[in-house]
Amino acid sequence: MMTDPSRPAGPSPASAGGPASTGGAGESATDALERQLHVFAKDAVAAYRSERVRAAELERALNTLETAFLETIRSLAFTVEAKDAYTGQHLERCRVYGLAVLDKLGIASDYPDAQYGFLLHDSGKVGVPDSILGKPGPLTTAEWRVMRTHPLIGYQMLAEIPFLSTAAEIVRSHHEMFDGGGYPEGLAREQIPLPARVFSVVDAYDAMTTNRPYRAALSAEHAAGEISRMAGSQFDPEVSKAFVELAPTLPTVTGG
Amino acid sequence: MSPSPHRTALVVDDEEVIRRLVRTVLEADEFVVSEAPDGPVALRTAAEAKPAIIILDVMMPDMDGVEVCRRLDHEAVKVVMLTARDDPELERRCKEAGADAFLTKPFSSTELLAVLEGLIG
Repeated sequence: MMTDPSRPAGPSPASAGGPASTGGAGESATDALERQLHVFAKDAVAAYRSERVRAAELERALNTLETAFLETIRSLAFTVEAKDAYTGQHLERCRVYGLAVLDKLGIASDYPDAQYGFLLHDSGKVGVPDSILGKPGPLTTAEWRVMRTHPLIGYQMLAEIPFLSTAAEIVRSHHEMFDGGGYPEGLAREQIPLPARVFSVVDAYDAMTTNRPYRAALSAEHAAGEISRMAGSQFDPEVSKAFVELAPTLPTVTGG
Repeated sequence: MSPSPHRTALVVDDEEVIRRLVRTVLEADEFVVSEAPDGPVALRTAAEAKPAIIILDVMMPDMDGVEVCRRLDHEAVKVVMLTARDDPELERRCKEAGADAFLTKPFSSTELLAVLEGLIG
């Protein structure tokens, strides 16, 4: 065992008052200061390390929560979509394309919950009877009236959920048109929330570039041309411009 | 616990009190620390002891920290410069000389620990 005559190995009556009592008159103020400094430094390092561990734990927990939240929303959105005619990865493509457009416009961080709105845009269709959703032929005027309630039903489903306010706005306004000709409220231009204007473009583009029972898919170039053509009427011109620039480099959505 | 070769540091400052304070925090963070009071001693110590990190004061008589930094072997060492104030021009010169990070005096122990963690984990 190593011994250091200047420091007692354990508690003893002489040292019970603290380390400063060691050596009595031989102890200089500088030595005491030095030891105190070491204690402070140990403290600082311990506090720093535990803070770092805690920050890492919190980040992991947050990531887990965000993943769970996204998967829950996705599951809900797919459940609704299963009632409807859309197939495959339409929802996921809307989410990915929509995020890409928000990113290009430099506003992705302003609308952190927009992606949930992209996924849930049709969630209000749970309130539309299957007889209308699945009707093979054209809808009657009365049936259209019911169909057109789905954005507001969806909005009411989400409006009270914390952190989903942008998502709720997207759901509410995803069938509005830039020139005021859409539904349910006939909003125009800046009255339509910007993420909803983004959604309109990506939803239309994806619909056009996907095969449907009644027509084959348009090419990406053709669909982008259609978006440009309807800029200012159906779509926000600035969003359309950003989207058309982005279209050739849109990320591929796989699976499903 | 034997010291990791990565946790070796050289503290270079003409003020003994600063060297002492920095050394104390580094030792508490399990670094093996050596000291140098001026540029020439710093360069000699760096060549012999091969520390992983050098904490280097900019303002020193005779050979200043920027000059010391320039003469170091930057393949082998990360350099943290201590500056007296925020000075973009000085920071630019330090970076040109190969500095990896900066601390402005007075700095907190947390800032010092964060810089070290950023450089060697």
